[in-house]
Order: sequence, then structure tokens, then C-alpha cells
Amino acid sequence: MKVLKLLLLPYMAAVIGAAFLWPEPAKGFIGESSRIVFFHVPCAWASTLAFIVAAVYSAAFLWKGKPWYDDIAAAAVRIGLLFGVLTLITGSLFARVMWGSWWNWDPRESSYLLLVFLYSAYLFLRAAVEDPERRPRIAAAYALFAAVLMPFLTFVAPRVTASLHPQTVINPQGKILMDTPTRAVFFGAMAGFSALFFWLLSIDARAARLRRTGENLHRD
Amino acid sequence: MPTTTIAAENLDKSFSGTPLFSGLSFSASRGLVAVSGRNGSGKTTLLKILAGLARPTSGRVHIETEGAAALTPSERRLAVGWAGPDLELYGELSAVENLHFFRKAAGREADTADLVRRLAAVGLAEEAMRRRVEEYSTGMKQRLRIAFATLFDPPVLVLDEPMVGLDVEGRETVYRVLAAARERGPVLLASNDERDFVDPDQRIEMKGSRRRGA
Amino acid sequence: MSALARAWAVCAKDATQELRRKVAMVAVFFFAATALTLVSFAIGPFGLPAADRPALEAALLWIILFFAAATGLPRAFVAEEEAGTGLALRKTVPAVVVLAGKSLFNFVLFLAMALITIPGFLILLDWKVNSPLAIAATMLAGGYGLAVVSTFLSALVARAGQRNVLFVLIAFPLILPLLLTAISATIVATAGDFPTTPLRVLLAYDGAATCGAYMLAGVAWED
Repeated sequence: MKVLKLLLLPYMAAVIGAAFLWPEPAKGFIGESSRIVFFHVPCAWASTLAFIVAAVYSAAFLWKGKPWYDDIAAAAVRIGLLFGVLTLITGSLFARVMWGSWWNWDPRESSYLLLVFLYSAYLFLRAAVEDPERRPRIAAAYALFAAVLMPFLTFVAPRVTASLHPQTVINPQGKILMDTPTRAVFFGAMAGFSALFFWLLSIDARAARLRRTGENLHRD
Repeated sequence: MPTTTIAAENLDKSFSGTPLFSGLSFSASRGLVAVSGRNGSGKTTLLKILAGLARPTSGRVHIETEGAAALTPSERRLAVGWAGPDLELYGELSAVENLHFFRKAAGREADTADLVRRLAAVGLAEEAMRRRVEEYSTGMKQRLRIAFATLFDPPVLVLDEPMVGLDVEGRETVYRVLAAARERGPVLLASNDERDFVDPDQRIEMKGSRRRGA
Repeated sequence: MSALARAWAVCAKDATQELRRKVAMVAVFFFAATALTLVSFAIGPFGLPAADRPALEAALLWIILFFAAATGLPRAFVAEEEAGTGLALRKTVPAVVVLAGKSLFNFVLFLAMALITIPGFLILLDWKVNSPLAIAATMLAGGYGLAVVSTFLSALVARAGQRNVLFVLIAFPLILPLLLTAISATIVATAGDFPTTPLRVLLAYDGAATCGAYMLAGVAWED
């Protein structure tokens, strides 16, 4: 595992370098702006992955009662918030270059804004519940309730309504419309960002566990 | 009448890592169990755990009626009658309306004549029964609490400081309720006043937590 | 006795308390009346181009309904904890029954609010509705979802700090899809068509919210 972590750094450096140097900029995009796909989409993916992890571990916590599962769920939301904000920023930069405005109320953009609101709400809820025994259960209940309702915004709206979003990855034909160098860097970036997500998740969850067990020791 | 037993198996309770009590076990089928201990020793918490209103950190509570199948969660909820100092009923409703609501919400029949009888048995005057609970004195509220605890004729009764705020007549009423209940099943009584324990069959002494000051 | 009858008992109890105390009702109606007055002063019946009116009026209507609801609906569980009656309720009634009863009460409260706000819109803003049936359907489908989600979230915040702000913050991301769909449906209804697609989405949302609340009721409101 340690070897993989050490390799992640040069791997990501290679991905970033390749993103700027290897594929040609895509047709139909202004200047070099198509390169954003190597950063924006993986961040969006990581943010969505965070939601799935948080929901799964919230359910696992309610089922088994292990505090470690709650640590992971909360950490996933925090990291998910980070990637969500990055998604919005990179998306906004792209929008500025392509269409001249920072924000367009495009359904997909808006669904990620909502996701960022949701993560913030979850963290706020955790902070507001003072009882440390109830806090993880209340948080888990919220996460799972949100999981039940989220499909209504994040997947229904963007599929149904027309979107400004470039259709290179998710499109009605179901095909990936990229040439080989672009595809290579794209999937490379997806793998790299996913690895980065899990690594950050692991660090944050372990820190949360230390804080939790440290708090218990301190009280004695 | 079949005996109902309430038993605690290795109950632990900690708040944020600080233990309140640990390894607590006991079993009772009939008679009075006196629960004593200083303020902050965990009497109220223990009674709430037995009544199903709090979770132990570890350990289990068993409630079994001999010859009967295991209790469903709903039945468990109603099998243990509980009253404590922080039990509050609805101020905007009268005593009769309160009891009527709880019976209906618990899925039982609610006959007004029966409810009036129960309230009279705890010493509430007829005209008081129809007034809103928010207008009651401390003693009247305490009598209503006792009526609430016995509302479903539970085999197990758990009472936390039932004499607080009661005059001599009120105390006599509670002694009568206790005397009747201990013949039917286990009664757990927590109190700071030793005089409240009339001829206990068992005693649980709460040692208390290291956390609080003397 | 069936679970529905028990939930009805909870709903009736809440209604009795509310009719005697009038806290939530007054807050909700006062809010709705103030917002309505503000809006009608601001845009009035002649202030805007006709093409833009349906969308704006639909959005304003649901904004007023949402914030008025946010004033009154969270009281469902919060009031129990503030009065200290939560313990007695928890002792006697399963969480699912309590949640069902209180959701029902909140749904009725919402409909009462809509019955006041909509005539206000019709009169003060000269709101034109070509399909009253569609509006009614939208209010029922949208109001139900709003009631269920608000009641569930009320249970979550009942024993937390900073409850008012907290409620709006955690409710907003979950209720937004419902509000957007309801606004869509309202726009279609004012044009005179029957908003089949948005109503289907609303019903699906209502179904999902009901299932979610049912399964998680015990976790949201228990010890």
C-alpha cells in the first residue's frame, strides 16, 4: 500500500503533464479549454464517489454500530465537498472561456451546486448535534434520506433537459467521443483522481478516529 | 397469573467514555426492588434503560413472561410502566384527554369512564380531571404521572422518585399503587429517601461515577 | 387497532394542541400574509410583461409556501422536545406511527396555508389559472412531499442546537427538486394544460420520501 501511495505522486505529475502536452485540443472548443476535461470530470466523479461511500458507510454504521464506519462516512463527505467545490471552480472557468459567463444555471452545473449544499448541510448538522452518541446516528439518517431523494435531481434533470454541457462523455449515443491520446489521458486522470480520493479519505477518516478516541481518553 | 421477569445482563453505561456504571446485573419477578444511591450515581439512567428510553453502552435487558412467546417491540414498550421527574404530559390537554390520547396512540381502546376511574384512583378530583394540565400544581402533575405509568396495567413498574411533590394523601396513594403492583410483578423504585422503600425484596445500590464531585 | 388509526390519533392530538395554542398557525399565516403583501406591492397586476408572468408568479408562490412552511412545519418534533413531552411519546408510541401522524398534520397545515395564499394570489396579483384541477393536483402532490420531508427533518433537528437555521439548511438541498418540479407543474397548469410529467416526478418523489422516512423513522427519533 505504501508503495502505491509513493507512486501516486509521480503518476499524478505524469497525468498533469500529459494533460497539457500530449493530446491535441479538441475541435469545437475555444483554444486549449478542452483540456479542462482531464481535471473537471475526474473531480466531479470523485465528488459523486464520495456520496456513494458516505451512503454505504452510513448504512453500515446503522447496521453494525462500529464508530469507524461513521468516521469514514463523515470523512467521505468532507473530501466530497472539497472535490465538489473544485468541480464548480473548474466548470466555472470553462464556462467563462467558452460562453463568456461564470455561471449559466445549466442543469448539470446546478446539480453539483446542490451536491455542495448537501455536503455542507450534512457537516453543519453534525456540528449542531451536541450529544456524541446521537450525532453519528442523526448524521447517518440524514445521509441515507438524502441518498433516497438525490436521484431526483442529479440524474433525472440533466438527462431530461437540454444542457450546455459538452456531450463527449455522457451523451445519447452512449459513446465516448474522444481520440486515443485524449482517451488515454482522460482515463488515466480518472484513475488518478479516484486514487487521490481514497488516499485523502483514508487520512481524514483516521484523523477523525484519533480525535474521537482522544476525546474519550481526555475525559478521564 | 403468569410471572413476568425483568432481568439486566451486564449493563454498562458510559457518557463520552466516562463510565457511569458497569457490569450491572439483576433479576426480579415479583416484589419491590429498591434502587438507592447518591445524586448522579445513575439511578435515573438505569431506570430509563430498563424502561426502554435509553440505550446501554453494552449489555441487555430481558423481559419475559413465563409460558408466553417473546414480546414484540410494541409489547415491550407497554409491558414496562415508567414515571420519572422529567416525564411531562401535554399541557394544552386535560388529564382525561392526555390518557385518552396515549391509549389510542398505543393502539388500545380508550373508555372515558375507565380513564376517570384511574385518575380518581390516584386522587385527582373530578373537576380537576377536565382542566388543562398546564394549570395543575406539582402534586397534581405527580399524581398524573403515576396514572400514566399504570395506564396499560403493565406487569413491570419502574418508578423514579414517585413521592416528590406529594402531600400525605398523595404518598398514601402511591404506597397503595406500589403494594398492589408488587403482588403482580416486579416494581423498581428509585428514591433518595430511605423511608420510601417499604419492606423491599431486593436492593440495588448504585455506587456512582468517578466524574462528578461529591 | 390499525397503524393508520394510531397515526390519526397523533394527528388529532397535534391539531387539538395547535387549535388551543395557535403558535404555529399564527406564525405561518402571518408570514404568508406579509410575503403576499410585499410581493403584490412590488409587482402588482400591471408591473410585468405578460409572457414572463406565469414563471415568476409560480416561482413566487412556491417560495412563499416553502418559507411559510419552514416557519411552521418543523415545530412537529421540536415542540415535543421543548415541552418535554417527547419522553412520554417515545415510551408509548413507535417512531413510525408518530412520524406518520405528524406528517399528516403538517400536510393539512400546508393545505390550509395554500388555501389562504392562492386566493391571495388570485385577488392581489390577478393570477390567471386556466386549469384549477391541475393546480389542486400540484398542491396535493407537492404539499405531501414537503410535509413528509419537513416532518422527518424536524425529528433530526429536534434535539440539536441552532434549530431554525439548521432546519432550513438541511431542508433546502432535499426540497429543491420538489420545489423546481412543483413550479414547473404550476406554470403548465396556469397555461391550461395538465402537467403530467412533472406530476409523475412529484409522485415518484413523494413515494421515495415516504419509503425513506418510514425506514429511517426509528433512527431519526429515538434514543
